[in-house]
Amino acid sequence: MRRLVNRWLVCLFTASGLFTASSLLTASGLVAAFVPLPVAAHGERATEPYIRTRTVHWYDVTWSSGSIAANDEITVAGKFRLFSDWPDAASLPDLVFLSNGSPGAVLTRVESYISGIPARQSARGLKTGKDYTFKLVMKGRVPGKWHLHPVLNVHGAGAIVGPGAWVEVTGKQSDYKEPLTTMTGVKIDDLQTYGVARAQMWHFGYGVLALLWLLWWLRRPLIIPRWLVTQKGREDLLITSTDDKVAAALLVTVLLVVIIGYKQTVEEFPNVVPLQAGFVKVPVPPNVPEAASIEVKNAEYDVPGRSLRMDVVITNNTDRPIRVGEFMTAQLRFINKDLPAAVESIDPSFPKDLLAGAGLKVGSDSPIAPGESRSTTLDATDAAWEVERLVSFLSNVDSRVGGLVFFYNDQGERHMSEISGAVVPVFTQLGSKVSTKAPEILNARVD
Amino acid sequence: MNKNDALILQSAELSPQAAQWSRTFDYLIIVVGAFLVWSVTYISQLLLAGDWDFFIDWKDRQYWVLITPTVTIMMAAGFQAIFWKLFRLPIGATASLLLFLVGVWIVRYHSWYGMAYFPLSLVIPGTCLMSAIALDAILVLSRSWLITGMIGATLYGLLFYPSNWVAIAGYFQPVEHMGSMASVADMIGYIYPRSGTPEYIRIIERGTLRTFADHAIWVSAFFSGFVCVFSYYIFWFIGSFACNPKFVAVGTRFKSAFGGSGKPAAAGESA
Ligand SMILES: [Cu+2]
Repeated sequence: MRRLVNRWLVCLFTASGLFTASSLLTASGLVAAFVPLPVAAHGERATEPYIRTRTVHWYDVTWSSGSIAANDEITVAGKFRLFSDWPDAASLPDLVFLSNGSPGAVLTRVESYISGIPARQSARGLKTGKDYTFKLVMKGRVPGKWHLHPVLNVHGAGAIVGPGAWVEVTGKQSDYKEPLTTMTGVKIDDLQTYGVARAQMWHFGYGVLALLWLLWWLRRPLIIPRWLVTQKGREDLLITSTDDKVAAALLVTVLLVVIIGYKQTVEEFPNVVPLQAGFVKVPVPPNVPEAASIEVKNAEYDVPGRSLRMDVVITNNTDRPIRVGEFMTAQLRFINKDLPAAVESIDPSFPKDLLAGAGLKVGSDSPIAPGESRSTTLDATDAAWEVERLVSFLSNVDSRVGGLVFFYNDQGERHMSEISGAVVPVFTQLGSKVSTKAPEILNARVD
Repeated sequence: MNKNDALILQSAELSPQAAQWSRTFDYLIIVVGAFLVWSVTYISQLLLAGDWDFFIDWKDRQYWVLITPTVTIMMAAGFQAIFWKLFRLPIGATASLLLFLVGVWIVRYHSWYGMAYFPLSLVIPGTCLMSAIALDAILVLSRSWLITGMIGATLYGLLFYPSNWVAIAGYFQPVEHMGSMASVADMIGYIYPRSGTPEYIRIIERGTLRTFADHAIWVSAFFSGFVCVFSYYIFWFIGSFACNPKFVAVGTRFKSAFGGSGKPAAAGESA
């Protein structure tokens, strides 16, 4: 008998230990999926470069403040271009949701807009090759230093993360409150706790009823005697007429509690609405003619030099002379430091780690006259290519690069064009085809 | 110990000492069994009903009402079969759902609230506990898995929505936000961001159910009761199957490969 008990116990303890451990792991794993690490690299660099360089290009992004108190608001606003050369491997932006990248609910949403349309729900009808404005109003909740990005979730392509800036939330978490008044005039003091006690009260009551039922059975001789008696076919001893009466009373209690409770709840909340599951439609912005067109003749990524070099032909379609001011891809901004208008375009709130130190070197940097087609080189060299993990296009099935180029005319007006083309990795200097030394010769060759 | 308990021990032919030992065994088994029932129920619920149970803004009139009872009745039926067939104990469903509810609240406080900063209002769980108690009570009254499956499982599905509505109805009051209407639940889901969880992945009220308007919920509840019947029978059979240990006879060569003597055991000698 004792040996039997021991053997059973060993088996059961082992099995239950394994089950409990695995269920806890599953539980915490699932939670972890919603909790990004509270450090800088919370996934923004993990996205494939072809997504980051050829889908959503965020620009003119500003953060209204770098430090807010808990319960104070911060606005992240700007624009994004949905890239025309959208990669085949990612779904087109037919269904999107504007969100924010921050570790969990440390900052809470107040309002969000795409092109001025409220974006509480997901939005349909966005088109590639178009520009959209966005605005995210957030509120500080948990004190700490948090990296805050705008994010466009594209159904079938995943979260496409915009530039991130550090935002410090000061004060205490208890300063944060989320009061709300319903359309029927019910005042909710704090959404964080609303309804919790009510649900717990019901769950507790149900739990007591369940526990009484379990104890009704567990207080008697259990496992071995009941098993032996079952084997002998003496069920009459195991379930008595008293048990029948208790079960009937319990069933009636359950039905009464549920029916009466439900009726009272329906009277208590006469006006309820279902979850709102519709999508909003964002109108298609009008076509803006490209002020300058760029054709990529050759593009190469110099692996040891951490440098992207492109031979391009730029055609000025405006009636004023223009110069190249900036090349931007995957949130990295390469600024032509020889052009004051481009340097002035950097908002003070823009994160410094996304500004490439050496900037953009333009081979033939003199103003491009109206109607002129100019061959030149663009050289974007920075360790950021490595730091931002953008060079896996070397191992990608679709070795292309894309980005935005900003031009400025002599009056300081800005124009924007998309640039995209195949990129060839170069592992030694011998393999290089693009020369940044002699743009004149290149011009001659193209002409 | 009442008269009936004494009769049980007498019928089981347990000596007073053996009866005492078996009671110690009972207490240990209750603890071990509780962990087993809890974790098995928990895993199946996480895997099969996941988000509908996690978040208040997933608790819709269609899938939540349909999926949650259909999933929880699986383990309820499985454990009910095991406890009933082996021990005539009508507690499988209640134990499974009570332990699950306790576990869910622990994880809500510890992980969702403690680790991920979510407010508890976002992660209010649903419960099938009242359904489970009714299921066990009907098993006692009918003594039949066939009737329990037909009446009890239907009731199980039907009771789910009203027994939860009492707890969460307040989350479905209308609110105006940015010029459109939303429920309080939608607002909680919107205000507290879940990273990597865009709004469009919510699977709520798809298809033609919306045309039933206010009756949608009872259409779902009845359909849920209907599906629960099948869910119950399937898992009752799986539970019953688990009550019948089967042995595969192996030869002496197999035994010796695993370190056995390879000789047939002599009569009276225990393996
Ligand atoms: Cu970040």
